[in-house]
Amino acid sequence: MAKPKLKPEIKTESLVSAAPRWNVVVLNDPINYQAYVVLAFMNVLRLGAAEAKRLMRVIHAEGRATVWTGGRERAEMLSLELQQWHLNSLLEQDG
Amino acid sequence: MAELRLTMTTEARTVLTDLLRLIAPAAARVTVNRAHVPATDPEIAGFWVETLTAQAAEEARLLAVAFAGAKGDPAVIVLPNEAQAHAFLRALSAVRLALRDLVFADVTDAQLENAEDLDDATLPTEQRHALACYACFGLLQQSLIAQLCPEAFD
Repeated sequence: MAKPKLKPEIKTESLVSAAPRWNVVVLNDPINYQAYVVLAFMNVLRLGAAEAKRLMRVIHAEGRATVWTGGRERAEMLSLELQQWHLNSLLEQDG
Repeated sequence: MAELRLTMTTEARTVLTDLLRLIAPAAARVTVNRAHVPATDPEIAGFWVETLTAQAAEEARLLAVAFAGAKGDPAVIVLPNEAQAHAFLRALSAVRLALRDLVFADVTDAQLENAEDLDDATLPTEQRHALACYACFGLLQQSLIAQLCPEAFD
């Protein structure tokens, strides 16, 4: 005789929370030329010229811009690389 | 990419080389002091300081070698490839930052952004001299970027 199949009652609950995201912020500085900043963005952030110029203009107009958002390790690496180009970059936790 | 060339008068080369001897040792300190090193993680902070310090030493060496090797009249600095050109650009930026922090500390950012408007007569001789060199280093950067990536300009 077949045993009755038991249907276990399974409850699931999502305990996964999203990892915090980090912003790489670049501040305006009066020393580095605009074209230099564009070139740095193109090389470090792998942006095209148009997007690099757009970010540079935001920084120039507003004093700062978030140039990248994502995981902490990558944000730290990009911020260090921007500082190696002598840009005034810093890390901020998103949200 | 073919080699890149920067040309300057022999007088400019001499003046800039002399200034570099004075400012290069301080440039490393300025670079590290300016950096926004993550304060929350000592291991990461140590790595950043180490990386930036090593880079500053390499930049000082690169500039010294490049200007010492700029022979002829006009003097020509030859950069063999794009990577060297990028390193040279960054090194010039470090020197300009060091001049800003060490020589023009009392000049406002707004004045410095319009450096050509600064009234030379109001500045002490040393600052005038340093300002001329600051502008020359900037011109070298602009010339190099124009060769490397003309689309970076508006």
